[in-house]
Amino acid sequence: MIMTWWRRILIVLIGAWIPVTIIYAWWTLSAESANPYFPPLSLILERFTELWFSQEFVVTVFPSLRNFILGYALACLIGIVLGTLIGGSRTGIKYAEPIIDFVRSIPAVATVPIFIVIFGLDIAMRVASITVAATMPILIATIQGVRSADVVQVETARVFHLSKSQQLWRVRLPGALPLIFSGLQLGLQIAFIVTIASEFLGSGFGIGSFTLIATESFLILDAWTGVILMGLLGYLINVVFDIVERFTLRWYYGQKKIV
Amino acid sequence: MSIGITISDVSMSFETPTGTKDVLRNVSYSVTPGLFVAIVGPSGVGKTTLLRILTGLTKPTGGTVQVRGSAIEGPPDGLAVVLQDYTRSLMPWLTVEKNISLPLRKKRIAKSELSARVRESLAEVGLEGTEKSYPWQLSGGMQQRVAIARALATRPDLLIMDEPFASVDAQTRFDLEDLVLKVRKDFGITTLMVTHDIDEAVYLSDEVVVLYGKPAGVREVVSVDINFPRSQIETRNDPRFAELRTHVYSLVRGLSEPTEVV
Repeated sequence: MIMTWWRRILIVLIGAWIPVTIIYAWWTLSAESANPYFPPLSLILERFTELWFSQEFVVTVFPSLRNFILGYALACLIGIVLGTLIGGSRTGIKYAEPIIDFVRSIPAVATVPIFIVIFGLDIAMRVASITVAATMPILIATIQGVRSADVVQVETARVFHLSKSQQLWRVRLPGALPLIFSGLQLGLQIAFIVTIASEFLGSGFGIGSFTLIATESFLILDAWTGVILMGLLGYLINVVFDIVERFTLRWYYGQKKIV
Repeated sequence: MSIGITISDVSMSFETPTGTKDVLRNVSYSVTPGLFVAIVGPSGVGKTTLLRILTGLTKPTGGTVQVRGSAIEGPPDGLAVVLQDYTRSLMPWLTVEKNISLPLRKKRIAKSELSARVRESLAEVGLEGTEKSYPWQLSGGMQQRVAIARALATRPDLLIMDEPFASVDAQTRFDLEDLVLKVRKDFGITTLMVTHDIDEAVYLSDEVVVLYGKPAGVREVVSVDINFPRSQIETRNDPRFAELRTHVYSLVRGLSEPTEVV
């Protein structure tokens, strides 16, 4: 018990020493900096607390987070539902494959201008860009996972008289979850990138917009705090994702640990 | 209610790059309702192919399988299966309880009835209290018990088992064999089991069907005239047991001529 307790601390220390070293180096090397583009870290952090431990945090972060969550949730829903339907049908895959291959070849951020034309500079434009870009990896992973379902599992469902749709949603889909989660992870990164990128165009809201405007106004300190905030947000989103994954796939990891 | 199953002139061939491969030719056999039948034969003879045809998963290239008087087009109603590979036939994302109730979803059974059935089935296989465990948290023998419980919970008329005890250790195997005898005594379900273990076939069955040849046909149906209840010690020491197992063994090995052709 004490061993594991110590081990845990040790693991945290091992994981932490590189970031700690980098932050320390940044702190000391930038301390005397007179370069306007690389202000001392101490000043950045000072500005950071000033800016983000205030009302400003909610005003700036809320629109980004809202767009991100809406866009990503839609992408998950569309990707998994559509992917399961396509993967579960032999003809579906033939029709869908060329379209998917084409859409996924478009760089995620490149769709933003098209959605501006369609939706204007509205929330809908941002959410739609996020959704389309993030759906692709989820869709592809789901199709693959559902198609490559375990033969024994599917046949067992068949001999026990589960209907076609039960075989699909109750056996093929859950069996595909480990693969689907790798698509969800990829979609998550893309959704975050597009969230920020979509704010670089014609927006007064959001953390991406804040950072861009700060840069253009030579408020370099503010821009740095924006970058750091984005990093922290991205990290937090990943942490939440990992927790959800660990919980949903606890059967998968549990099984792997034993085998 | 137990049902019979009639195999009429079933043939099976596969197209391979080197030509057509005949696996089964004119297999005919009729299972009497309520009997326990083991299908044995040398490795690769087509036992599992025949079993897949009987479950309705594979269509034979010739002949028919009849249940309740009509040829089957897919898995027949009232069928339950237990497969060798329990790690794959039990869904790892479902708890024991959910695995057992999965086939019952379609049958519009009330929630209370559902959990009662799960409990009864688990009690029958001696796994009370494992409802909330995941299959992979249990030993191999216990997982196979869950698979048997899942089959029983559907109240089957026909039970088909493919090498059900091939992946467990010898002691567990004996326990599971006795469990199967108990299930047979309690429910009298018509049961077909493929096995490569001749002792096991004789120990459990009323009839042993020996497949032999390339392509394979029924070489002989050996009637096991040993009274129930059977026990691992007494039955296996019965001189009649030794005779029958020797006879089946030489048939499987192609060493002796059939004594009666059905």
